[in-house]
Amino acid sequence: MRLVLALLGLCLLLVPAHGARLVSQLSNDSVEITSSYAGERLTFFGSIEPDAGSTERVEGPFHVVVVVVGPTQDRVARRKTNNFGIWINTEQVEYDNFPSYFHVLASGKLEDISDITTLTTNNILPEAYTLSSDSGDWWSGPVFGRELVRLMTQQGFFGVQENGVNFLSNNFYSARLTLPSNAPPGPYIALTYVFKNGEIIARKSEGFAVRKIGFERFIALSAIQYPLLYGIVCVILALFTGWLGGVIFKR
Amino acid sequence: MQIYLPIAELSVNLFFLVGIGGAVGFLSGLFGVGGGFLLTPLLIFSGVPAPVAVASVTGQVVAASTSGALSHYRRGGIDLHLAMYLVLSGILGAFGGVATFALLRDAGQLDLVISLGFLILLGSVGVLMLIESSRALLRTRKGVVVRERLPNQHSWIHGLPMRVRFKKSRLYISVLPVLLIGLFIGFVGSLLGIGGGFIMVPALVYLLRVPGNVVIGTSLAQVVAMMAATTILHAVQSQSVDILLAFCLMVGGTAGAQFGAAAGKQLRGEQLRGLLALLILAVAIRFGLSLVLTPGDVFSTAVVGGAR
Repeated sequence: MRLVLALLGLCLLLVPAHGARLVSQLSNDSVEITSSYAGERLTFFGSIEPDAGSTERVEGPFHVVVVVVGPTQDRVARRKTNNFGIWINTEQVEYDNFPSYFHVLASGKLEDISDITTLTTNNILPEAYTLSSDSGDWWSGPVFGRELVRLMTQQGFFGVQENGVNFLSNNFYSARLTLPSNAPPGPYIALTYVFKNGEIIARKSEGFAVRKIGFERFIALSAIQYPLLYGIVCVILALFTGWLGGVIFKR
Repeated sequence: MQIYLPIAELSVNLFFLVGIGGAVGFLSGLFGVGGGFLLTPLLIFSGVPAPVAVASVTGQVVAASTSGALSHYRRGGIDLHLAMYLVLSGILGAFGGVATFALLRDAGQLDLVISLGFLILLGSVGVLMLIESSRALLRTRKGVVVRERLPNQHSWIHGLPMRVRFKKSRLYISVLPVLLIGLFIGFVGSLLGIGGGFIMVPALVYLLRVPGNVVIGTSLAQVVAMMAATTILHAVQSQSVDILLAFCLMVGGTAGAQFGAAAGKQLRGEQLRGLLALLILAVAIRFGLSLVLTPGDVFSTAVVGGAR
Protein backbone atom coordinates (compact mmCIF):
# COMPACT_ATOMS: atom_id res chain seq x y z
CA MET A 1 0.00 0.00 0.00
CA ARG A 2 2.73 2.39 0.97
CA LEU A 3 4.60 1.52 -2.17
CA VAL A 4 1.60 2.35 -4.31
CA LEU A 5 1.17 5.69 -2.62
CA ALA A 6 4.81 6.46 -3.03
CA LEU A 7 4.68 5.55 -6.69
CA LEU A 8 1.57 7.67 -7.14
CA GLY A 9 3.26 10.62 -5.46
CA LEU A 10 6.26 10.19 -7.70
CA CYS A 11 4.06 10.13 -10.76
CA LEU A 12 2.31 13.32 -9.70
CA LEU A 13 5.67 15.00 -9.29
CA LEU A 14 6.92 13.83 -12.61
CA VAL A 15 3.92 14.33 -14.88
CA PRO A 16 3.48 18.11 -15.07
CA ALA A 17 6.35 19.14 -17.24
CA HIS A 18 6.24 22.77 -16.22
CA GLY A 19 5.14 22.31 -12.64
CA ALA A 20 2.54 25.09 -12.72
CA ARG A 21 -1.03 25.21 -11.62
CA LEU A 22 -3.72 27.78 -11.87
CA VAL A 23 -5.50 29.29 -8.89
CA SER A 24 -8.45 31.24 -10.17
CA GLN A 25 -11.67 32.80 -9.06
CA LEU A 26 -14.78 34.22 -10.66
CA SER A 27 -16.46 37.37 -9.33
CA ASN A 28 -19.94 35.82 -9.32
CA ASP A 29 -21.05 32.24 -9.66
CA SER A 30 -24.49 33.28 -10.83
CA VAL A 31 -25.86 36.18 -12.80
CA GLU A 32 -29.40 37.00 -11.76
CA ILE A 33 -31.84 38.48 -14.21
CA THR A 34 -34.29 40.88 -12.61
CA SER A 35 -36.66 43.35 -14.23
CA SER A 36 -33.96 46.03 -14.40
CA TYR A 37 -31.33 43.64 -15.77
CA ALA A 38 -29.30 45.31 -18.47
CA GLY A 39 -26.23 43.13 -18.65
CA GLU A 40 -23.66 42.28 -16.02
CA ARG A 41 -19.92 42.70 -15.64
CA LEU A 42 -17.94 39.65 -14.64
CA THR A 43 -14.36 39.61 -13.43
CA PHE A 44 -12.06 36.62 -13.71
CA PHE A 45 -8.85 36.66 -11.76
CA GLY A 46 -6.21 34.20 -10.74
CA SER A 47 -2.59 33.50 -10.37
CA ILE A 48 -0.16 30.96 -11.75
CA GLU A 49 1.43 29.10 -8.86
CA PRO A 50 4.07 26.41 -8.63
CA ASP A 51 2.64 22.93 -8.32
CA ALA A 52 1.96 21.61 -4.82
CA GLY A 53 5.14 20.17 -3.38
CA SER A 54 7.30 21.69 -6.06
CA THR A 55 9.96 24.11 -4.89
CA GLU A 56 10.70 25.39 -8.35
CA ARG A 57 9.60 28.93 -9.07
CA VAL A 58 7.32 29.43 -12.05
CA GLU A 59 8.80 31.77 -14.58
CA GLY A 60 6.93 33.71 -17.22
CA PRO A 61 6.22 35.10 -19.62
CA PHE A 62 2.77 33.57 -19.52
CA HIS A 63 -0.24 34.08 -21.65
CA VAL A 64 -3.71 33.58 -20.28
CA VAL A 65 -6.79 32.90 -22.39
CA VAL A 66 -10.27 32.83 -20.83
CA VAL A 67 -13.00 31.25 -22.97
CA VAL A 68 -16.59 31.84 -21.87
CA VAL A 69 -19.10 29.48 -23.49
CA GLY A 70 -22.86 29.87 -23.07
CA PRO A 71 -25.61 27.24 -23.26
CA THR A 72 -25.74 25.39 -26.55
CA GLN A 73 -28.63 25.35 -29.00
CA ASP A 74 -29.30 23.94 -32.44
CA ARG A 75 -28.79 26.66 -34.98
CA VAL A 76 -29.06 27.09 -38.73
CA ALA A 77 -27.25 29.46 -41.04
CA ARG A 78 -29.22 30.39 -44.16
CA ARG A 79 -28.35 32.06 -47.42
CA LYS A 80 -30.71 34.09 -49.58
CA THR A 81 -30.50 33.86 -53.34
CA ASN A 82 -32.28 35.83 -56.01
CA ASN A 83 -35.05 33.80 -57.66
CA PHE A 84 -37.02 35.61 -60.36
CA GLY A 85 -36.28 38.95 -58.73
CA ILE A 86 -37.22 37.91 -55.20
CA TRP A 87 -34.70 37.16 -52.46
CA ILE A 88 -35.51 33.83 -50.83
CA ASN A 89 -33.68 31.68 -48.26
CA THR A 90 -32.62 28.71 -50.35
CA GLU A 91 -29.56 27.10 -48.75
CA GLN A 92 -29.10 26.22 -45.11
CA VAL A 93 -26.58 24.40 -42.96
CA GLU A 94 -27.50 23.14 -39.51
CA TYR A 95 -25.19 23.22 -36.51
CA ASP A 96 -26.19 21.07 -33.53
CA ASN A 97 -25.11 22.09 -30.02
CA PHE A 98 -23.77 25.39 -31.19
CA PRO A 99 -22.89 27.79 -28.34
CA SER A 100 -25.33 30.66 -27.94
CA TYR A 101 -22.57 32.76 -26.41
CA PHE A 102 -18.82 32.58 -26.95
CA HIS A 103 -16.28 35.14 -25.87
CA VAL A 104 -12.51 34.81 -25.77
CA LEU A 105 -10.44 37.06 -23.55
CA ALA A 106 -6.71 36.83 -24.16
CA SER A 107 -3.60 38.54 -22.89
CA GLY A 108 -2.25 39.05 -26.39
CA LYS A 109 -2.81 38.27 -30.03
CA LEU A 110 -4.04 34.69 -30.33
CA GLU A 111 -1.64 34.03 -33.21
CA ASP A 112 1.27 35.00 -30.96
CA ILE A 113 0.02 32.88 -28.07
CA SER A 114 -0.12 29.56 -29.85
CA ASP A 115 -0.46 27.86 -33.21
CA ILE A 116 -3.81 27.40 -34.92
CA THR A 117 -3.97 23.64 -34.33
CA THR A 118 -3.69 23.99 -30.56
CA LEU A 119 -6.24 26.79 -30.55
CA THR A 120 -8.70 24.86 -32.69
CA THR A 121 -8.43 21.51 -30.92
CA ASN A 122 -9.05 23.23 -27.59
CA ASN A 123 -12.08 25.12 -28.98
CA ILE A 124 -10.50 28.50 -28.37
CA LEU A 125 -11.37 29.80 -31.83
CA PRO A 126 -15.09 30.25 -32.55
CA GLU A 127 -14.62 28.54 -35.92
CA ALA A 128 -13.89 25.30 -34.04
CA TYR A 129 -17.60 24.90 -33.35
CA THR A 130 -18.52 25.23 -37.01
CA LEU A 131 -16.46 22.24 -38.09
CA SER A 132 -19.13 19.75 -37.02
CA SER A 133 -21.93 20.86 -39.31
CA ASP A 134 -24.52 18.30 -40.28
CA SER A 135 -25.67 18.97 -43.77
CA GLY A 136 -22.91 21.12 -45.25
CA ASP A 137 -20.80 19.59 -47.99
CA TRP A 138 -17.06 20.18 -48.12
CA TRP A 139 -17.47 23.52 -49.81
CA SER A 140 -20.48 25.20 -48.24
CA GLY A 141 -19.69 23.97 -44.70
CA PRO A 142 -16.71 26.29 -44.07
CA VAL A 143 -18.37 29.21 -45.91
CA PHE A 144 -21.55 29.02 -43.82
CA GLY A 145 -19.49 28.45 -40.68
CA ARG A 146 -17.48 31.61 -41.25
CA GLU A 147 -20.64 33.60 -41.97
CA LEU A 148 -22.37 32.20 -38.88
CA VAL A 149 -19.46 33.33 -36.68
CA ARG A 150 -19.60 36.75 -38.34
CA LEU A 151 -23.36 37.07 -37.71
CA MET A 152 -23.03 35.99 -34.09
CA THR A 153 -20.20 38.50 -33.65
CA GLN A 154 -22.32 41.29 -35.13
CA GLN A 155 -25.13 40.49 -32.69
CA GLY A 156 -22.66 40.62 -29.81
CA PHE A 157 -22.93 36.94 -28.88
CA PHE A 158 -19.45 36.06 -30.12
CA GLY A 159 -16.27 37.97 -29.67
CA VAL A 160 -12.54 37.81 -29.25
CA GLN A 161 -10.85 40.46 -27.09
CA GLU A 162 -7.13 40.11 -27.55
CA ASN A 163 -6.38 42.63 -24.81
CA GLY A 164 -9.05 41.30 -22.47
CA VAL A 165 -6.66 39.81 -19.91
CA ASN A 166 -4.30 42.07 -17.94
CA PHE A 167 -1.35 40.91 -15.92
CA LEU A 168 -1.11 42.83 -12.66
CA SER A 169 2.17 41.16 -11.74
CA ASN A 170 4.31 38.48 -13.37
CA ASN A 171 1.84 35.74 -12.54
CA PHE A 172 -1.34 37.44 -11.36
CA TYR A 173 -3.96 38.28 -13.98
CA SER A 174 -7.46 39.68 -14.15
CA ALA A 175 -9.98 39.78 -16.98
CA ARG A 176 -13.28 41.59 -17.39
CA LEU A 177 -16.27 40.57 -19.43
CA THR A 178 -19.57 42.41 -19.85
CA LEU A 179 -22.44 40.01 -20.47
CA PRO A 180 -25.00 41.72 -22.75
CA SER A 181 -28.64 41.91 -21.67
CA ASN A 182 -29.68 39.47 -24.39
CA ALA A 183 -27.19 36.80 -23.32
CA PRO A 184 -29.30 33.63 -23.17
CA PRO A 185 -30.04 32.27 -19.69
CA GLY A 186 -28.55 28.90 -18.83
CA PRO A 187 -25.33 27.28 -17.69
CA TYR A 188 -22.10 28.97 -18.71
CA ILE A 189 -18.57 27.60 -18.57
CA ALA A 190 -15.44 29.70 -18.24
CA LEU A 191 -12.31 27.81 -19.36
CA THR A 192 -8.99 29.35 -18.44
CA TYR A 193 -5.82 28.27 -20.24
CA VAL A 194 -2.28 29.25 -19.29
CA PHE A 195 0.17 29.22 -22.19
CA LYS A 196 3.91 29.28 -22.05
CA ASN A 197 5.95 29.21 -25.25
CA GLY A 198 2.86 28.25 -27.22
CA GLU A 199 1.93 25.29 -25.07
CA ILE A 200 -0.82 24.84 -22.52
CA ILE A 201 0.79 24.36 -19.10
CA ALA A 202 -2.31 24.67 -16.94
CA ARG A 203 -6.04 24.86 -17.37
CA LYS A 204 -9.09 25.17 -15.23
CA SER A 205 -12.81 25.37 -15.81
CA GLU A 206 -15.40 27.11 -13.74
CA GLY A 207 -19.13 27.26 -14.19
CA PHE A 208 -21.61 30.00 -13.58
CA ALA A 209 -25.30 30.30 -14.29
CA VAL A 210 -27.30 33.07 -15.89
CA ARG A 211 -30.82 32.73 -14.62
CA LYS A 212 -34.03 34.63 -14.20
CA ILE A 213 -35.17 35.15 -10.62
CA GLY A 214 -38.30 36.42 -8.93
CA PHE A 215 -41.01 37.81 -11.21
CA GLU A 216 -39.13 37.16 -14.45
CA ARG A 217 -38.54 33.53 -13.51
CA PHE A 218 -42.19 33.18 -12.51
CA ILE A 219 -43.41 34.50 -15.87
CA ALA A 220 -41.01 32.45 -17.95
CA LEU A 221 -41.86 29.30 -16.01
CA SER A 222 -45.61 29.78 -16.18
CA ALA A 223 -45.43 30.42 -19.93
CA ILE A 224 -43.87 26.99 -20.36
CA GLN A 225 -45.59 24.98 -17.61
CA TYR A 226 -49.13 26.37 -17.83
CA PRO A 227 -49.36 27.73 -21.38
CA LEU A 228 -53.16 27.62 -21.52
CA LEU A 229 -53.61 29.47 -18.22
CA TYR A 230 -50.88 31.92 -19.22
CA GLY A 231 -52.64 32.67 -22.50
CA ILE A 232 -55.98 33.18 -20.76
CA VAL A 233 -54.37 35.54 -18.22
CA CYS A 234 -52.84 37.52 -21.11
CA VAL A 235 -56.27 37.88 -22.71
CA ILE A 236 -57.96 38.91 -19.46
CA LEU A 237 -55.21 41.47 -18.87
CA ALA A 238 -55.74 42.81 -22.40
CA LEU A 239 -59.52 43.02 -22.04
CA PHE A 240 -59.17 44.72 -18.67
CA THR A 241 -56.59 47.23 -19.94
CA GLY A 242 -58.76 48.04 -22.94
CA TRP A 243 -61.85 48.50 -20.80
CA LEU A 244 -59.97 50.61 -18.24
CA GLY A 245 -58.56 52.80 -20.99
CA GLY A 246 -62.04 53.47 -22.26
CA VAL A 247 -63.34 54.30 -18.78
CA ILE A 248 -60.45 56.58 -17.75
CA PHE A 249 -60.43 58.68 -20.86
CA LYS A 250 -64.18 59.08 -21.13
CA ARG A 251 -64.48 61.23 -18.00
CA MET B 1 -35.31 53.01 -17.93
CA GLN B 2 -34.48 49.51 -19.12
CA ILE B 3 -36.95 46.69 -18.61
CA TYR B 4 -36.14 43.03 -19.08
CA LEU B 5 -38.62 41.07 -21.20
CA PRO B 6 -38.71 37.53 -19.80
CA ILE B 7 -39.90 35.72 -22.94
CA ALA B 8 -38.13 37.80 -25.57
CA GLU B 9 -35.03 37.51 -23.33
CA LEU B 10 -33.66 40.95 -23.89
CA SER B 11 -33.95 44.30 -22.19
CA VAL B 12 -35.60 47.23 -23.90
CA ASN B 13 -36.20 50.83 -22.90
CA LEU B 14 -39.60 51.04 -21.19
CA PHE B 15 -40.38 54.50 -22.59
CA PHE B 16 -39.55 53.32 -26.09
CA LEU B 17 -42.09 50.48 -25.78
CA VAL B 18 -44.85 52.63 -24.31
CA GLY B 19 -43.95 55.29 -26.89
CA ILE B 20 -44.36 53.11 -29.98
CA GLY B 21 -47.45 51.59 -28.39
CA GLY B 22 -48.85 55.10 -27.98
CA ALA B 23 -47.90 56.29 -31.47
CA VAL B 24 -49.44 53.24 -33.13
CA GLY B 25 -52.41 53.49 -30.75
CA PHE B 26 -52.95 57.09 -31.88
CA LEU B 27 -53.03 55.99 -35.52
CA SER B 28 -55.31 53.06 -34.72
CA GLY B 29 -57.74 55.34 -32.87
CA LEU B 30 -57.58 57.84 -35.72
CA PHE B 31 -58.34 55.31 -38.44
CA GLY B 32 -60.28 52.71 -36.47
CA VAL B 33 -57.87 49.86 -37.17
CA GLY B 34 -56.00 47.61 -34.74
CA GLY B 35 -52.55 48.82 -35.70
CA GLY B 36 -50.95 45.38 -35.64
CA PHE B 37 -49.69 45.85 -39.19
CA LEU B 38 -47.54 48.75 -37.96
CA LEU B 39 -46.54 47.44 -34.54
CA THR B 40 -45.27 43.99 -35.57
CA PRO B 41 -42.72 45.31 -38.11
CA LEU B 42 -41.62 48.04 -35.66
CA LEU B 43 -40.91 45.49 -32.93
CA ILE B 44 -39.05 43.15 -35.27
CA PHE B 45 -36.99 46.10 -36.43
CA SER B 46 -36.06 46.98 -32.83
CA GLY B 47 -34.63 43.54 -32.15
CA VAL B 48 -37.54 41.54 -30.72
CA PRO B 49 -37.51 38.02 -32.23
CA ALA B 50 -40.20 37.77 -34.94
CA PRO B 51 -42.26 34.97 -33.28
CA VAL B 52 -42.37 36.88 -29.97
CA ALA B 53 -43.31 40.11 -31.76
CA VAL B 54 -46.17 38.52 -33.71
CA ALA B 55 -47.57 36.66 -30.68
CA SER B 56 -47.32 39.60 -28.25
CA VAL B 57 -48.84 42.11 -30.68
CA THR B 58 -51.83 39.77 -30.90
CA GLY B 59 -52.40 40.44 -27.19
CA GLN B 60 -51.99 44.19 -27.68
CA VAL B 61 -54.58 44.20 -30.51
CA VAL B 62 -57.12 42.67 -28.10
CA ALA B 63 -56.64 45.57 -25.70
CA ALA B 64 -56.61 48.21 -28.45
CA SER B 65 -59.90 46.96 -29.92
CA THR B 66 -61.71 46.34 -26.62
CA SER B 67 -62.54 49.94 -25.71
CA GLY B 68 -63.73 50.61 -29.26
CA ALA B 69 -65.84 47.47 -29.33
CA LEU B 70 -67.40 48.31 -25.96
CA SER B 71 -68.43 51.81 -26.97
CA HIS B 72 -69.94 50.46 -30.22
CA TYR B 73 -71.76 47.80 -28.21
CA ARG B 74 -73.32 50.44 -25.95
CA ARG B 75 -74.52 52.32 -29.02
CA GLY B 76 -75.93 49.08 -30.42
CA GLY B 77 -73.49 49.08 -33.33
CA ILE B 78 -72.62 45.39 -33.23
CA ASP B 79 -74.42 42.62 -35.09
CA LEU B 80 -73.66 39.86 -32.60
CA HIS B 81 -75.24 37.17 -34.76
CA LEU B 82 -73.01 38.04 -37.72
CA ALA B 83 -69.98 38.48 -35.45
CA MET B 84 -70.53 35.01 -34.01
CA TYR B 85 -70.36 33.37 -37.45
CA LEU B 86 -67.23 35.37 -38.29
CA VAL B 87 -65.56 34.51 -34.98
CA LEU B 88 -66.26 30.78 -35.12
CA SER B 89 -64.86 30.41 -38.63
CA GLY B 90 -62.10 32.86 -37.71
CA ILE B 91 -60.92 30.67 -34.83
CA LEU B 92 -60.84 27.70 -37.19
CA GLY B 93 -58.70 29.78 -39.56
CA ALA B 94 -56.48 30.83 -36.66
CA PHE B 95 -55.72 27.17 -35.87
CA GLY B 96 -54.48 26.78 -39.44
CA GLY B 97 -52.57 30.04 -39.28
CA VAL B 98 -50.76 29.22 -36.04
CA ALA B 99 -49.80 25.76 -37.32
CA THR B 100 -48.56 27.21 -40.63
CA PHE B 101 -46.64 29.82 -38.65
CA ALA B 102 -44.69 27.09 -36.81
CA LEU B 103 -44.05 25.12 -40.02
CA LEU B 104 -42.76 28.17 -41.90
CA ARG B 105 -40.55 29.23 -39.02
CA ASP B 106 -38.82 25.87 -38.97
CA ALA B 107 -38.41 25.89 -42.74
CA GLY B 108 -36.82 29.36 -42.62
CA GLN B 109 -39.44 30.91 -44.90
CA LEU B 110 -41.42 32.85 -42.26
CA ASP B 111 -39.85 36.20 -43.11
CA LEU B 112 -40.52 35.66 -46.79
CA VAL B 113 -44.19 34.77 -46.26
CA ILE B 114 -44.71 37.65 -43.83
CA SER B 115 -43.19 40.09 -46.32
CA LEU B 116 -45.13 38.65 -49.27
CA GLY B 117 -48.34 38.55 -47.24
CA PHE B 118 -48.03 42.16 -46.14
CA LEU B 119 -47.07 43.24 -49.66
CA ILE B 120 -50.04 41.59 -51.37
CA LEU B 121 -52.66 42.36 -48.71
CA LEU B 122 -51.61 45.88 -47.83
CA GLY B 123 -50.72 46.69 -51.43
CA SER B 124 -54.08 45.70 -52.86
CA VAL B 125 -56.18 47.10 -50.00
CA GLY B 126 -54.13 50.31 -50.01
CA VAL B 127 -54.52 50.87 -53.76
CA LEU B 128 -58.28 50.16 -53.65
CA MET B 129 -58.79 52.50 -50.71
CA LEU B 130 -56.70 55.24 -52.30
CA ILE B 131 -58.68 55.06 -55.55
CA GLU B 132 -62.00 55.01 -53.72
CA SER B 133 -61.20 57.86 -51.36
CA SER B 134 -59.62 60.11 -53.96
CA ARG B 135 -62.68 59.63 -56.18
CA ALA B 136 -64.91 60.55 -53.27
CA LEU B 137 -62.75 63.58 -52.49
CA LEU B 138 -62.85 64.77 -56.12
CA ARG B 139 -66.61 64.30 -56.29
CA THR B 140 -67.30 66.28 -53.14
CA ARG B 141 -64.98 69.02 -54.39
CA LYS B 142 -67.04 69.21 -57.62
CA GLY B 143 -70.13 69.50 -55.50
CA VAL B 144 -71.75 66.22 -56.58
CA VAL B 145 -73.76 64.57 -53.84
CA VAL B 146 -72.24 61.17 -53.14
CA ARG B 147 -74.89 58.49 -53.28
CA GLU B 148 -74.67 56.03 -50.40
CA ARG B 149 -74.44 52.44 -51.43
CA LEU B 150 -77.82 50.81 -50.88
CA PRO B 151 -77.74 47.89 -48.47
CA ASN B 152 -80.28 45.91 -50.44
CA GLN B 153 -78.35 45.91 -53.70
CA HIS B 154 -77.81 42.29 -54.66
CA SER B 155 -74.88 40.53 -56.25
CA TRP B 156 -74.14 36.88 -57.10
CA ILE B 157 -73.00 36.36 -53.50
CA HIS B 158 -76.56 36.81 -52.33
CA GLY B 159 -77.72 33.96 -54.53
CA LEU B 160 -75.75 31.25 -52.68
CA PRO B 161 -77.55 28.57 -50.64
CA MET B 162 -77.80 28.22 -46.82
CA ARG B 163 -79.28 31.62 -46.24
CA VAL B 164 -79.50 33.03 -42.75
CA ARG B 165 -81.27 36.20 -41.60
CA PHE B 166 -79.07 38.74 -39.82
CA LYS B 167 -81.62 41.07 -38.24
CA LYS B 168 -79.40 43.93 -37.16
CA SER B 169 -77.61 44.16 -40.50
CA ARG B 170 -80.97 43.83 -42.30
CA LEU B 171 -79.48 41.04 -44.40
CA TYR B 172 -80.80 37.70 -45.55
CA ILE B 173 -77.74 36.05 -47.09
CA SER B 174 -75.90 32.75 -47.41
CA VAL B 175 -73.54 31.94 -44.53
CA LEU B 176 -70.92 30.57 -46.93
CA PRO B 177 -69.28 33.91 -47.84
CA VAL B 178 -69.49 34.96 -44.18
CA LEU B 179 -67.68 31.82 -43.05
CA LEU B 180 -65.11 32.16 -45.85
CA ILE B 181 -64.30 35.73 -44.88
CA GLY B 182 -63.93 34.70 -41.24
CA LEU B 183 -61.74 31.73 -42.14
CA PHE B 184 -59.47 33.82 -44.37
CA ILE B 185 -59.04 36.64 -41.86
CA GLY B 186 -58.43 34.18 -39.03
CA PHE B 187 -55.71 32.47 -41.04
CA VAL B 188 -54.00 35.61 -42.32
CA GLY B 189 -54.37 37.45 -39.01
CA SER B 190 -52.70 34.79 -36.91
CA LEU B 191 -49.99 34.26 -39.53
CA LEU B 192 -49.08 37.94 -39.85
CA GLY B 193 -49.91 39.10 -36.32
CA ILE B 194 -52.58 41.57 -37.42
CA GLY B 195 -56.21 41.98 -36.44
CA GLY B 196 -57.34 42.17 -40.03
CA GLY B 197 -59.75 45.05 -39.48
CA PHE B 198 -58.51 46.73 -42.63
CA ILE B 199 -59.55 43.65 -44.67
CA MET B 200 -62.69 42.92 -42.67
CA VAL B 201 -64.28 46.33 -43.09
CA PRO B 202 -64.05 46.46 -46.91
CA ALA B 203 -65.10 42.80 -47.13
CA LEU B 204 -68.23 43.42 -45.04
CA VAL B 205 -69.09 46.60 -46.91
CA TYR B 206 -68.42 45.58 -50.51
CA LEU B 207 -69.02 41.81 -50.46
CA LEU B 208 -71.82 41.40 -47.94
CA ARG B 209 -73.29 44.93 -48.12
CA VAL B 210 -73.43 45.27 -44.36
CA PRO B 211 -74.83 48.73 -43.52
CA GLY B 212 -72.37 51.37 -42.30
CA ASN B 213 -73.74 51.74 -38.79
CA VAL B 214 -72.82 48.18 -37.75
CA VAL B 215 -69.71 47.58 -39.90
CA ILE B 216 -67.05 49.04 -37.60
CA GLY B 217 -68.59 47.66 -34.39
CA THR B 218 -69.02 44.16 -35.78
CA SER B 219 -65.51 44.15 -37.20
CA LEU B 220 -64.09 45.32 -33.85
CA ALA B 221 -66.01 42.68 -31.91
CA GLN B 222 -64.75 40.04 -34.32
CA VAL B 223 -61.15 41.29 -33.92
CA VAL B 224 -61.37 41.17 -30.10
CA ALA B 225 -62.74 37.63 -29.98
CA MET B 226 -60.50 36.25 -32.68
CA MET B 227 -57.29 37.87 -31.46
CA ALA B 228 -58.06 36.67 -27.93
CA ALA B 229 -58.31 33.12 -29.25
CA THR B 230 -55.13 33.59 -31.31
CA THR B 231 -53.22 34.87 -28.26
CA ILE B 232 -54.14 31.70 -26.36
CA LEU B 233 -53.22 29.55 -29.38
CA HIS B 234 -49.81 31.23 -29.68
CA ALA B 235 -49.26 30.85 -25.93
CA VAL B 236 -50.03 27.13 -26.10
CA GLN B 237 -48.30 26.35 -29.38
CA SER B 238 -45.04 28.29 -29.19
CA GLN B 239 -44.95 29.88 -25.70
CA SER B 240 -43.90 33.08 -27.41
CA VAL B 241 -46.37 35.57 -25.90
CA ASP B 242 -44.40 38.02 -23.76
CA ILE B 243 -46.94 39.34 -21.26
CA LEU B 244 -44.69 42.17 -20.14
CA LEU B 245 -44.03 43.31 -23.70
CA ALA B 246 -47.73 43.06 -24.52
CA PHE B 247 -48.69 44.99 -21.38
CA CYS B 248 -46.29 47.88 -22.11
CA LEU B 249 -47.71 48.12 -25.62
CA MET B 250 -51.30 47.94 -24.30
CA VAL B 251 -50.78 50.80 -21.85
CA GLY B 252 -49.35 53.03 -24.58
CA GLY B 253 -51.82 51.77 -27.14
CA THR B 254 -55.06 52.32 -25.20
CA ALA B 255 -53.98 55.81 -24.14
CA GLY B 256 -52.88 56.72 -27.66
CA ALA B 257 -56.07 55.35 -29.18
CA GLN B 258 -58.22 57.78 -27.15
CA PHE B 259 -56.29 60.80 -28.44
CA GLY B 260 -56.38 59.35 -31.94
CA ALA B 261 -60.14 58.93 -31.81
CA ALA B 262 -60.52 62.54 -30.63
CA ALA B 263 -58.28 63.77 -33.45
CA GLY B 264 -60.22 61.63 -35.93
CA LYS B 265 -63.36 63.67 -35.32
CA GLN B 266 -61.63 66.70 -36.85
CA LEU B 267 -61.21 64.96 -40.20
CA ARG B 268 -63.78 63.84 -42.75
CA GLY B 269 -64.31 60.19 -43.66
CA GLU B 270 -62.76 60.33 -47.14
CA GLN B 271 -59.75 62.25 -45.86
CA LEU B 272 -59.20 59.67 -43.14
CA ARG B 273 -59.50 56.81 -45.59
CA GLY B 274 -57.12 58.53 -47.98
CA LEU B 275 -54.51 59.01 -45.25
CA LEU B 276 -54.92 55.42 -44.06
CA ALA B 277 -54.52 54.22 -47.65
CA LEU B 278 -51.23 56.14 -47.94
CA LEU B 279 -50.01 54.68 -44.64
CA ILE B 280 -50.92 51.14 -45.68
CA LEU B 281 -49.25 51.63 -49.06
CA ALA B 282 -46.07 52.93 -47.41
CA VAL B 283 -45.83 49.79 -45.27
CA ALA B 284 -46.55 47.61 -48.33
CA ILE B 285 -43.81 49.32 -50.34
CA ARG B 286 -41.37 48.91 -47.47
CA PHE B 287 -42.05 45.15 -47.47
CA GLY B 288 -41.94 44.96 -51.26
CA LEU B 289 -38.54 46.63 -51.37
CA SER B 290 -37.14 44.19 -48.79
CA LEU B 291 -38.06 41.33 -51.15
CA VAL B 292 -36.68 42.85 -54.32
CA LEU B 293 -33.64 44.90 -53.29
CA THR B 294 -30.33 43.13 -52.78
CA PRO B 295 -30.23 42.49 -49.03
CA GLY B 296 -27.38 44.01 -47.04
CA ASP B 297 -26.58 40.55 -45.79
CA VAL B 298 -27.55 37.42 -47.71
CA PHE B 299 -26.76 35.29 -44.69
CA SER B 300 -28.97 34.95 -41.65
CA THR B 301 -29.16 32.64 -38.69
CA ALA B 302 -31.86 31.28 -36.40
CA VAL B 303 -32.32 28.82 -33.58
CA VAL B 304 -34.18 25.69 -34.65
CA GLY B 305 -36.61 23.85 -32.42
CA GLY B 306 -36.42 25.20 -28.90
CA ALA B 307 -39.10 26.98 -26.96
CA ARG B 308 -39.03 30.19 -28.95
